[in-house]
Amino acid sequence: MRDGSLEERFSRREATAYEAAFLAFGARMQTTALRILRDPDAARECVQEVFEGLWRRGHSYSPARGALEAFLVTCARNAALTSLRAGRRRRQTEQHLDVDDRYTMEEDPIERERVARALAQLTEGQADVVQLAYYKGMTLSEVATELAIPIGTVKGRLSAALRALRRTLVVGEPA
Amino acid sequence: MIFGAHVGDAAELYAAGALTAEEHAAVEAHIAQCSECLRRVGEAEETVLALERVNAVQSLRPSNVAPFGRRRVPVWWIPVAAAAALIVGLLVPRHGLQTDVATVAMLHSHFAHAQFVGNGPPAKVLYARDRSWYYVIVDGRHSYGVYALRDGASAYLGATQSKGRVSELFSSVATPFDRLELRDGGRLVEAAAIR
Ligand SMILES: [Zn+2]
Repeated sequence: MRDGSLEERFSRREATAYEAAFLAFGARMQTTALRILRDPDAARECVQEVFEGLWRRGHSYSPARGALEAFLVTCARNAALTSLRAGRRRRQTEQHLDVDDRYTMEEDPIERERVARALAQLTEGQADVVQLAYYKGMTLSEVATELAIPIGTVKGRLSAALRALRRTLVVGEPA
Repeated sequence: MIFGAHVGDAAELYAAGALTAEEHAAVEAHIAQCSECLRRVGEAEETVLALERVNAVQSLRPSNVAPFGRRRVPVWWIPVAAAAALIVGLLVPRHGLQTDVATVAMLHSHFAHAQFVGNGPPAKVLYARDRSWYYVIVDGRHSYGVYALRDGASAYLGATQSKGRVSELFSSVATPFDRLELRDGGRLVEAAAIR
């Protein structure tokens, strides 16, 4: 076995670390992509493309950044959003994320409850922005139009909301 | 400049996938240089992970899984990595949590492997069925020259590089061949037939 944690080996771009990371986090990444893309094939492809891109182009991950799982899940989410938005542009007619609801996501009831409580702590303005930008995958300018507020306000609210969510969900301050 | 001296609020927007491609790239460039902002981005990514944990893994129900090989997927990297694990017996480290068996099986349908036969150490080559990449891995740290042969003509592909307990050579340069040889100082050590 080579030296170092998975995080270190991944940051050194060792081939076996990519395999290990895929096995450990691939399912989570795919679930995230599936929630956004609503198409299992597209979700699977999305995750493969994330890994392929990280392998080919390199990446800015290092253990100092934090958990590898968080980095990879975020990569998968961003890739899925990019592909969703590209598809949306192609299809002009479709405004938002209501693509195909055949694939209803199952949710972990305990996590669901934690997140629901954390979301309830946000201000109304923050919660609206999180709903549209995070959950519906709308761009910031789409959110600004939808809520009729300046884009700078959207940015500020989304950023503050994520920091508040971090305090409750990650750091563990009481909700 | 897209943001100030530091990334600031853009750290969370970056993690939330809310930046334009240009802004996203600017954050990437900055956090490659700035450990403070790297940490802030990492924290925001942990928040994203916490939000995503709501989605249970079991949501990939069997009925949702497409038959293997229905789509052509760009997957060369996986077999390459898997090769290292399988051949050297490293087998997947103890991180093995939930594996998406369907995905792994599908990936495996895209590559083939062949054993080197001869007087050298255990060695294998993994290659894409479409020959778009190949990966030679030899037990031990000794470096060998790798040659591709086709219709009697041979081409030098490179030397294996020692890495950990093995010596390996990867290339995604498409080279048509039907036989690979490992040579040591020009002397044939072992060969593998590629079908
Ligand atoms: Zn900075």
